[in-house]
Amino acid sequence: METDALIRNLSDRPEPVAPGAVARRVVLGLGFGAAVAVALMLAWLGPRRDLMPAMATSMFWMKFAYTALTGLLLAAALIRLSRPAARVGPITVAIAAPLAVLVAMACMRLAQAPPEARRLLLMGDSASVCPWRIVIIGLPVLAGAVWAVRGLAPTRLALAGAVAGGCAGAIGAAIYGFHCNETAAPFVAIWYTLGMAAVAALGGLAGSRVLRWS
Amino acid sequence: MDQIELRLRGLMLAGLAGEAGPYRSLLDELSGLLRAYYGRRCPPGVDTEDLVQETLIAVHTRRATYEAGQPFTAWAYAIARYKMIDHLRRARLHLRAPEEAAEALFVDPGADAAMASRDLDRVMADLPARTRDLIRDTRIEGLSTREAAQKHDMSESAVKVAVHRGLKALGARFGGSRGD
Repeated sequence: METDALIRNLSDRPEPVAPGAVARRVVLGLGFGAAVAVALMLAWLGPRRDLMPAMATSMFWMKFAYTALTGLLLAAALIRLSRPAARVGPITVAIAAPLAVLVAMACMRLAQAPPEARRLLLMGDSASVCPWRIVIIGLPVLAGAVWAVRGLAPTRLALAGAVAGGCAGAIGAAIYGFHCNETAAPFVAIWYTLGMAAVAALGGLAGSRVLRWS
Repeated sequence: MDQIELRLRGLMLAGLAGEAGPYRSLLDELSGLLRAYYGRRCPPGVDTEDLVQETLIAVHTRRATYEAGQPFTAWAYAIARYKMIDHLRRARLHLRAPEEAAEALFVDPGADAAMASRDLDRVMADLPARTRDLIRDTRIEGLSTREAAQKHDMSESAVKVAVHRGLKALGARFGGSRGD
């Protein structure tokens, strides 16, 4: 078929495009993935037994704020990276802000604690399972993100994959926080972050393959 | 460059609003620019016209990713470059010949002529079922793009692209030349 015929064909009554379609698709993918992740967490691990009293403590919400805020910022970056010629822009700096605040809190906590209590603050009771669980709960979210982004037009695939993974890991960690009863800032700063980073690494490695579109 | 940006951006925004005329001018102008760009950049042996068409399809099907505040030229260039890389990567994969039985070489020389006389259904059998139905509906039954889109619950864009690709696949396999 001649190129002219193709152009005539494509430009014949083009459907109008609503603004905001990119953001809508990314939010839809992440939202659907998150719903599956919540179901997975509830079926596999269940919510923590003391969820109601825990929700009255500030540390519970600190943990949630760290993961949810990081996820939100990475989702904003992912929306940008779903477009050709994308620049992440000033969000790049903001993405590290929640982690910086948490690390500062963790250092203060460790500095104030007696030496014999530090091991518990760092390792808690679940350091060996926490990052793995976050990875597993983050995977459905990553699948939703990949579905959304590959239907758009990313051109920096590895970066978009890493950001999709980081976002999925952060959302997975936020969901896992409703099961996990660790509340020490040093624990969250290390093991939650490690789980999120693992999903980001996975997304970055798979990005140039799974996000390819044509 | 600034003038090109201004003009193309205006055409794109009109196209996104659903205006056929400006959108057609945009694709027309873009096809010329792409042809020149790929002609300069691609190694010999690359079917640049094919690449131009694939890029126009990408611009069309992914036009929702253009953000009004963004430079149109940067957006279109990023797609053109991505498409070129994708095309070269595919071409490289294509070079690997498939492993076949020895009979692949020792066939009756008359077999090609017999293959060429396969009837339409046989010819179309290798296409995906939906593409086959769409080609039959739009090119044989005489349905319009809109009617075919409604029948198969697809967007008109998707119908146009599927029919184009299907016909091209048939042309590549059985026609030798690009035919319409």
